[in-house]
Amino acid sequence: MCVSDPILLGCLLTVFLPLSAFALIMIFTRDNHKLSLAISLVASTIPLIIAWTFFFKLGGREPIIYNFDWLVSDIVKVPFGFLLDPTSLVMLVIVATISWLVQVYSIGYMEGDPGFGRYYADLSLFALAMLTLVISSGLLQLYIAWELVGLASYLLIGFWYEKFSASEAGKKAFVVTRFGDIGFFMGLVFLTIFYGSLDIATVNSAAVAKSMPPWLITSAGLLIFCGVMGKSAQFPLHVWLPDAMEGPTPVSALLHSATMVAAGVYLMTRIFPFFAASATTMSVILVISTITLILSSTIGMVATDIKQVWAYSTVSQLGFMAMGLAAAALASGTLFAGYYHLTTHAGFKALLFLCSGVFIHHFGTNNFFNIATQGGRKLIIPMVTITIAALALAGIFPLSGFFSKELVLTALAQLDNKLWLVLGLFGAFLTAYYAFRVIFVMLFPKEPEAYAKVPGHIVHVEAEAHGHDDDAHGHGHDEHHGVPWVMAFPLIVLAGFTLILGFCQGYLEKLLLGESHPHAINYFLLASAVTCAVGGIALAWFDWGRKGAKCVGFISKFPALQTFFIQKWYMDHFWRWFLNRCIYGFFSKWFTYNDRRVVDGGVDAVAFSTVGSGRLLSFIQTAFLQYNLLFMVLVLAGVGIYLMMGR
Amino acid sequence: MLLFNQLQTYLFLALVLFAIGLYGVLARRSLIAILISVELILNAASINFMAFNRFLAPHPAVGQVITLFIMAVAAAEAAIALSIIVAVYRKQKSINVEHVTELRG
Repeated sequence: MCVSDPILLGCLLTVFLPLSAFALIMIFTRDNHKLSLAISLVASTIPLIIAWTFFFKLGGREPIIYNFDWLVSDIVKVPFGFLLDPTSLVMLVIVATISWLVQVYSIGYMEGDPGFGRYYADLSLFALAMLTLVISSGLLQLYIAWELVGLASYLLIGFWYEKFSASEAGKKAFVVTRFGDIGFFMGLVFLTIFYGSLDIATVNSAAVAKSMPPWLITSAGLLIFCGVMGKSAQFPLHVWLPDAMEGPTPVSALLHSATMVAAGVYLMTRIFPFFAASATTMSVILVISTITLILSSTIGMVATDIKQVWAYSTVSQLGFMAMGLAAAALASGTLFAGYYHLTTHAGFKALLFLCSGVFIHHFGTNNFFNIATQGGRKLIIPMVTITIAALALAGIFPLSGFFSKELVLTALAQLDNKLWLVLGLFGAFLTAYYAFRVIFVMLFPKEPEAYAKVPGHIVHVEAEAHGHDDDAHGHGHDEHHGVPWVMAFPLIVLAGFTLILGFCQGYLEKLLLGESHPHAINYFLLASAVTCAVGGIALAWFDWGRKGAKCVGFISKFPALQTFFIQKWYMDHFWRWFLNRCIYGFFSKWFTYNDRRVVDGGVDAVAFSTVGSGRLLSFIQTAFLQYNLLFMVLVLAGVGIYLMMGR
Repeated sequence: MLLFNQLQTYLFLALVLFAIGLYGVLARRSLIAILISVELILNAASINFMAFNRFLAPHPAVGQVITLFIMAVAAAEAAIALSIIVAVYRKQKSINVEHVTELRG
């Protein structure tokens, strides 16, 4: 039946090829690195082709839905299936493309790693989960895939599990996101009980507002947003994402910047009409995402680890997307601004991480001051592409980030309260500053001593970047200024996307919304956005780039604030305190007491009385459990045969 | 597609699963392997329930409910069994059932 329908066949292949690759590699070919790589590449290339074909063939058409009922009863219906509409098709293309590029890039990055096969198995698992998440037709299916990407993220963060910090970071990511997912699941339960369907198409329809009272829509929306907070690293659950940088850098590019963490924002766009039905939900989201934006950009200003800078940048840009969506919902706009920023961000942020990966791979350190002083700018290709990506991140014309940021700011400008717009612009300013802090330090390195006063930076001490022996893998045979082609190629492709994606705005908008609105260009807004970006870059030049720059950053004028930012707003301290005080100090303590006294006591009483009677019959026990069991099975079989013969 | 619309197919699948599970329980000496085999047996039972439910039962929900119950029971059972195994391992430094002879009468 599915062979006759190429679209369904395509969906099934997209999902099941990575799954079979994961299973094959894990069970059979884990120790054969070449074969594992081949399997994984085949299983990601075919979905890539399918995704782009779908994108061009089905883009402008009506949504295509395949639903198969999985769980049916009188009041609940849980469908599993595929939903192909413009929203999911765009994300499908993003995921398939970046996933494929990262797999190619990893050939160079992970070369010689003893866990090479396992790495590709985990990447395939991620591809399976993420592609399912994107094209799933029901929220429960989406939730299952959501948890699966969490699992893949856990496995990949803790990929170098022999390193203590890596396994800790994996655990942290898993637990923190799960904390949010509890809310998500409860939201789904709410929806199931009070609405009776988890089908995305019906949840998005106007019927929900009629069948559920407003407070229920608000609380269900907020609960589902808890999941978004966990996955998309929004305040106060953002603490796991910077730690997740312990994983291999291509993983950070794929999971922890471009696709997986964007899944939260994707969920918001997926059921955007449902979220938008409650203004309260959207206001809360707006507040939280704004806090996230400001918090993470300020921390990004003082980080000395290049991956940490991009990690906080990711957090802030996710906040920016959520702001765009929330603002659009409050001003009855469309989901396009936030979603477009997601699209462009996926491109340039993956590029930033992959470029940083080249530097980290080459110099064996994560500290960009050390990379700079060791001559990082001599790697031409990554240096050029990282600059392009940083320009896009800062929002400079004509790169993709400029267009999407401008759209989000336009959405913010439509709110009555201009505070949000000001904060958004401030966030854009900080973004430009911290991005170009990295770029200028790397482009115009000073003497190592010049960076001695940078807070948090220790000169001449090289951080262990890989957690595995760097001598084991050289820098490839086909050296191109020290960069193997498999690693340079994805950089160039992504840089190309970053350059052209900005001009696809009209096309994408037409695809997503059905019609393209001619934008009345708000020149004042445009001017202030560009001023913020250029101002941030100029300040970064003044602080870090120019000859004789002080290299301490303007923030060192405010020591208290600087400490506050370096300590990451004390969020880790807060959670540690919360765990110790509330979880361990209260719940665990009393549950332990209950367990010791009440449960154990009761069980002990039963046990003592049982022991006495047991002594009487103990001679039957031969201590060969399985013989007893075998005897039991034989007797049962005998009885069965007797009964059948008796008829 | 006719094969998938027959009760016998599913019963046969369940039978095979059950037999594999039973063999595992009886023949394997590792507690973990025994636990895994028990899960197979439980799944065989679930498949039976779903199959009968699909083909014979008048009300479609009963079998699904029982299957969900089985899943919950299986989860609880796995948790308890694993903790028992951990306890056994701490005491014996082995999870081979042949070494668990303390209850010999």
